[in-house]
Amino acid sequence: MTKIEVVISPTGETRITTLGYSGSDCQTASRFLENALGIREKETLTSEFHTSAQQQSQTEEGI
Amino acid sequence: MSHIVEIRTQVKDAVAVEAACRRLHLAAPTYGSTQLYSGTASGVIVQLRDWRYPIVFNTAAGNAKFDNFNERWGKQRELDKFLQAYACEKCKIESRRQGHTVTEQPLADGSIKMTINTGGAA
Repeated sequence: MTKIEVVISPTGETRITTLGYSGSDCQTASRFLENALGIREKETLTSEFHTSAQQQSQTEEGI
Repeated sequence: MSHIVEIRTQVKDAVAVEAACRRLHLAAPTYGSTQLYSGTASGVIVQLRDWRYPIVFNTAAGNAKFDNFNERWGKQRELDKFLQAYACEKCKIESRRQGHTVTEQPLADGSIKMTINTGGAA
């Protein structure tokens, strides 16, 4: 199950976390929120992002 | 999780401003020009609680003008509460526009967590 968590601090700063996505799908999924809420200040790609991207690449090379 | 993004909130949506004002039981925003201590400002005008002058949001540029004279004419926490409320309402508006359900949960440190169910399997 995919979801997006948005934590808004008492001072209005926002942190968006995507959960359950594979590869770069997470960036596509949250883009509507990032664009709507303001200016992107920092992005952190997690290990799941890179692992899924590598698996996709290896699968395509095996064809 | 897959990625984490930190955003600096910009006020760019008048509808979300109206919703934030309702959420905080403030008077509805007005639109036009108003006089601040430093001069005239135009945009979406919001009167925060116990502020001498209103805050004016330029929603096209995403910035704001206000005079609170180092909190002597209005506390920063009121502006912070407004920005948090705006971000919550904007998040709900945009998520529902995409067809997603949204739940809201207050956290112990004063933050608010919005969970958007986008559905589907990973």
